[in-house]
Amino acid sequence: MIFWEIAKRNIRIHLLRSSLAMLGIVIGVVAIASMGILGNSMVLSVSDSLRTVGDSVIVTPHAGGGGGGFGGGGGSSSALVITEQDYQQIKRVSAPNIAIPVLQTTDRLKLGVGKDDLVAMIYGIDPEDMPDFFILESGDYSRSSSGCLVGSTFAKDNNVKVGSRITVGTDGNKGTLRVTGIIEERGMAFDVSTDSAVVATQDWFNNAYSRNDYDKVVIKVKNLDDITAVKEAIEKQMNRRDETVDVMDTRKVMESIFEAFGQITTFVSAIGGISMLVAGVSILNIMMMSVTERIKEIGIMRSIGAQRKEVMSMFLYEAMILGVVGSIIGGILSLLGGYAISSLMLQTTEYLFVPSSLIHIVYGMVFGIVICLICGIYPAWRAANLNPIDALRHE
Amino acid sequence: MVFRDVVKVYPLPAGDVVALDGVSFRVDRGEFISVMGPSGSGKSTLLNLMGCLDTPTSGDIYISGTRIGDMSDAELTSLRRDRIGFIFQYFNLFPLLNIIENVTFPMMLKTGKGVDPERGREVLRAVQLDDKLFTHTPTELSGGQQQRVAVARALINNPDILLCDEPTGNLDSKTGAGIMDLMTDLNRKGTTIIMVTHDPNIAEYSKRTIRIADGRIVS
Ligand SMILES: Nc1ncnc2c1ncn2[C@@H]1O[C@H](COP(=O)(O)OP(=O)(O)O)[C@@H](O)[C@H]1O
Ligand SMILES: [Mg+2]
Repeated sequence: MIFWEIAKRNIRIHLLRSSLAMLGIVIGVVAIASMGILGNSMVLSVSDSLRTVGDSVIVTPHAGGGGGGFGGGGGSSSALVITEQDYQQIKRVSAPNIAIPVLQTTDRLKLGVGKDDLVAMIYGIDPEDMPDFFILESGDYSRSSSGCLVGSTFAKDNNVKVGSRITVGTDGNKGTLRVTGIIEERGMAFDVSTDSAVVATQDWFNNAYSRNDYDKVVIKVKNLDDITAVKEAIEKQMNRRDETVDVMDTRKVMESIFEAFGQITTFVSAIGGISMLVAGVSILNIMMMSVTERIKEIGIMRSIGAQRKEVMSMFLYEAMILGVVGSIIGGILSLLGGYAISSLMLQTTEYLFVPSSLIHIVYGMVFGIVICLICGIYPAWRAANLNPIDALRHE
Repeated sequence: MVFRDVVKVYPLPAGDVVALDGVSFRVDRGEFISVMGPSGSGKSTLLNLMGCLDTPTSGDIYISGTRIGDMSDAELTSLRRDRIGFIFQYFNLFPLLNIIENVTFPMMLKTGKGVDPERGREVLRAVQLDDKLFTHTPTELSGGQQQRVAVARALINNPDILLCDEPTGNLDSKTGAGIMDLMTDLNRKGTTIIMVTHDPNIAEYSKRTIRIADGRIVS
């Protein structure tokens, strides 16, 4: 239509100022989209390293909260443990899912004569349960009680191989372990984080640290739909009288972590949105100019029979062209920019070409177009409602 | 067209301006009327009311029996588009459109879509504009040529009434005479013409003259 044509030509003859206003929109789109893409890529890369798929219920002794009165036995760390009796109850209510008791501590390690001591996490797990937890990258699961597994990072950093010996405790007073296998990288996990740790057998651990109880119990839930039921069953059984345990459902935890990440992404995108609002102001500004310098023309149009809504559409087209062109350019730049940033900062572009990242480009573009239209409405309305006679008399 | 006791007051902060003060007359189909009077006497106001660009403060205006005071803005706009042609002193062509587009603009408004440029060429030839100029922009044309384009634009929808506000006011007398010959010709073919002028030589072309002073008709 002719009004579309006029809108296009008006942008063309004011190319410089139109481009500058459009630049604002371009920047706005890029800001929103790149913030969104960056945020989402982070979420994706973190969730990839949080390898635990959220299939566990983790039971730990109830922490904090007076209640107790009696402490545990004198010197030993206050009795924040799960007793064998508690474990049997947990095992019973979570059946048929397997409940794996876990012991853990940190201690000094020595990796050979003359080498420096280092401090690491040591887990104690029944060798029968190990295959449920770990996939090995080399070696075998421990059969004898003094065998142990080590995490892949631990192995790499300390040059530990299958067959290496590790002396545990101050001056080696806890004995020596022989490495039988190296656990594949597991990432950060809620159950046991083995990458930089040593996993000994439960028997050895009990002996070395004189323990007959556990630090936590991990229940591997086979059917994910049961996870809440298992959690509730344990809580009901164990916390009937006193709060004796805390029960954590890893899926819930993962959900809340992702929720938090999502909120951060939204927040940084919103900061990008502010630059779009600034761009909107410059669109409003040039649209007002466009109306003011064409008052006479509007008067002529109205006098020879252009309806109000037609005059209005002419200016809305103009705002829309600015918005659409600016948004498309911004969208293309976001894609290129996202590609550059992903490959530089995250060393991979696998998180860019996924719908949850690309949608942020769409958000940016839609917001750009909507802002332009909104900022075009008032000037267009002004133009449409000019009194034709006053407009005609305008010089 | 009938005017009955038409009063037009422009309310201004410095006090109301009475531009028309009780004007009554009638215009019959096919007339060629000139409106004369000193500057500020209300001629343009009168013409704008005839052209449905505004409604009177009091009194009635009827066009083909319809009272314009009762019509909505959209209806008045359609009436202007379909039945009235405007010609202004300053030509008032659209700078962003070429000559053909300027001429066919009211027709595009009427049909709501693109218009065969051939229709524009026909009308432009009828106002004796050189074919070479058709795709130029208005600023590349002389005043006389621009006014011919303006006349062509006013005629494209075959209006019943042609309203001209000092159509020769910005032209030399020879070019002005050319435009007036065009008008006389149109009037002979049946178009009603009402023309504001303060040049007595131009008023000569009309068949009747309304004289106006201080918002009242004096003869
Ligand atoms: N849109 C308007 N707003 C306010 N005053 C106006 C307007 N149009 C005309 N006038 C005033 O009304 C009077 C008549 O104006 P006009 O009809 O333009 O006279 P003419 O065309 O005969 O010179 C003048 O005093 C003018 O200042
Ligand atoms: Mg005047």
